[in-house]
Amino acid sequence: MSGDIKIELPEARRDSHLRSDGPAISVRGLDKSYGDNHVLNDMSFDFERGKVYVIMGPSGCGKSTLLRHMIGAEHPDAGEVLIDGIDIHAPSRRVRDEARRKFGVLFQSSALLNGLTVAENVALPIQRHTDLPQSTIDLMVKLKLELVGMGNALDKYPYEISGGMKKRAGLARAIALDPAIVFYDEPSAGLDPVMIGVIDKLIKDLTSKLGITSVVITHEMPSIFRIADEAIMLFQGRVVFRGNPEQLRTSNDPVVRQFMNGDPEGPINAPRQLSELSERLIGSNIQNQMKS
Amino acid sequence: MQAATNLISNLGAFVNQYVASLGAAVRFGAAAAGFGVRGLFNKRIYPRHDLIVQMDYTGARSTPIMVLLGFLVGASLVIQTTPSLARYGPAELVAGVVGVSILRTLGPLLAAIIFAGRVGAGFTAELGTMAVSEEVLALDTMGIHPVGYLVAPRFSAAILMLPACTVLFDMSALLGGYLVGVYQFNIPHESYMDITKQFVSLSNFTFGLAKSVVFAVIITLVCCFKGFNVKGSGMEVGRATMQAIVISLILIIFSDFVMSMVYNFLSKVGVVE
Repeated sequence: MSGDIKIELPEARRDSHLRSDGPAISVRGLDKSYGDNHVLNDMSFDFERGKVYVIMGPSGCGKSTLLRHMIGAEHPDAGEVLIDGIDIHAPSRRVRDEARRKFGVLFQSSALLNGLTVAENVALPIQRHTDLPQSTIDLMVKLKLELVGMGNALDKYPYEISGGMKKRAGLARAIALDPAIVFYDEPSAGLDPVMIGVIDKLIKDLTSKLGITSVVITHEMPSIFRIADEAIMLFQGRVVFRGNPEQLRTSNDPVVRQFMNGDPEGPINAPRQLSELSERLIGSNIQNQMKS
Repeated sequence: MQAATNLISNLGAFVNQYVASLGAAVRFGAAAAGFGVRGLFNKRIYPRHDLIVQMDYTGARSTPIMVLLGFLVGASLVIQTTPSLARYGPAELVAGVVGVSILRTLGPLLAAIIFAGRVGAGFTAELGTMAVSEEVLALDTMGIHPVGYLVAPRFSAAILMLPACTVLFDMSALLGGYLVGVYQFNIPHESYMDITKQFVSLSNFTFGLAKSVVFAVIITLVCCFKGFNVKGSGMEVGRATMQAIVISLILIIFSDFVMSMVYNFLSKVGVVE
C-alpha cells in the first residue's frame, strides 16, 4: 500500500516553507492549570523548520493539553504559542485564522465530517480559503488523496472506510492547503503495525519532500525511533528530555528510562500508586495464608 | 464558621460559573444570529445546499407529525369543550373557543414543543456527537467558524420552518375541530363558520406566528449550544440532549407567558387589536 505513495514537486516549491526566518513553532512560558491540577508548567521550547518532532510522555503528562494549546483549541493561563511568529491565541480572530492557515491537524479520531464524502472533506478547507474554480479544487483534492494512497476512495463516506483509511484521508485534509506545519495527535492509535508503518512513512516523506515541520504526539516506541528527528518528553507538565532518538536511547534520566522500558515501578506516578496498592493487597493476602 | 465560609465560597463559585456559562450562551446566540443572517448572502459561511438539507429535515419531514397531531388536538378540544358549553349556552360557541385558543396559544406552543422534541433533540445529538469526535474542533482549526458552518444553516432553517409548521398545525387543528363540531355534534356548517369569523381575527394568527419565530430562536440556540458544549463520551450526548429539551420547554412556555402578557397590555392600550 505504501508503494502507492509518490511525492513529486518542483524544486522551488520544496523549500518554500524554509524561507522565512525564525522557528516554525515557538512555545514561551506556557502555563495551564485545571483547578489544582497544574498540567503545563512554564513550558518553553522552539521547533525548527523541516523536521519531525515527537512529543511523548506517560498518560496525563500534558501531551494532549500541549497540543490543544499549540493548535489554539484552548487558552493558556500564561505564556504564548507562536506559529511562524504569529500568536495562535491572539484576541483577533483574523490573526488567529492567519496562524491556523499555517498548519494542518490530523486528529486522533481523524475528525472527518461524517456528512461529507472523503473528497468533500479534503475540498472543504480549499473551498473556504481560496477562490479557485471547482475543477481546480477537484484536481487538488485528487492529488492530495493520491499522495496518501487514497485515490480510489474519493466518493466514500467516512463511516464506509477503515480506521487506517480515515487517518490517511484526515492527513490529506490536513495538507490540503500546503501548510508549513502538520500536527499529528496519536497517529498510530488503533492501527495495526503495518498501517502504523504506512503512516510513519507518510510523515517522514511529507517532512523531507515538502519541507513540512511535523509535530507528532505518540507513545509508540518503534514509531518514535523510525520518524523522530528530535523527541521531547513531558512529565508533570514540564519538558524532562529533549534530544534525538540516539540520545533518547542512551538517556540516564530515570523518567525516560522507566518510560522506555515500560517498568511498572519508578518515578512515573500512576503505575507506582497502583503497584503500592496491589502490593498491600497481595502482601496482606500472603500474610494471611502464612498465618493459616 | 468553616461551614459558612465553605457555603459562601461554593455559592460564589456557582454564581461565577453560572454567569460565565450565561455569557458564553449569549455570545453563542449573537454569533449564531449574526452568521445566520450573513449566511443568507455569503456562501462562504456555509454551503447553500446545507440550508436546503436543514429545511427539508426541520420542515418538510415534520409535516406528517404536525398534520396528524394538529388534527387530533383540534378534534379532542371540540369533543371535550362542546358538552360543557352546551350546558350554558349555544354549543356553536365552541368554534370561537377552538379558533382563538388554537391560533393564539395552543397551535404555536404545541407545534414548538413537537419541533423541540423532533428537531431540537436531533440538533443536540448531532452536534454533540460532532463535538465528541473532534469534528467541531477540526472545523475551527481549518479556520472555518463552527457556529457559522453548523449552527447558521440550522438557525435559518428553523426560523423559516417552525412558523410554516405552526401554520400547518393550526390549519389541521381547525379542520379537526370543524369536522368533529359539524359531524359529531351536529353544529350547522354556516353557524360554525359565522362564529369562527366573529371570534377569530387576523391578529390572533399573526401573533401566533410571531411567537413561533421566537420559539424557533429559543429551540435552535439552546439545542445547538448544548450540543456544542458536550465534552467526554457518547453518554454525555444523551444527557445534553435531555437537558436541551428541558431547558427549551421551560423557555418556550415561559416566553409564551411573557409574550401573552405583553400582547394583553398592548391590546389594552390600543396598539394591537
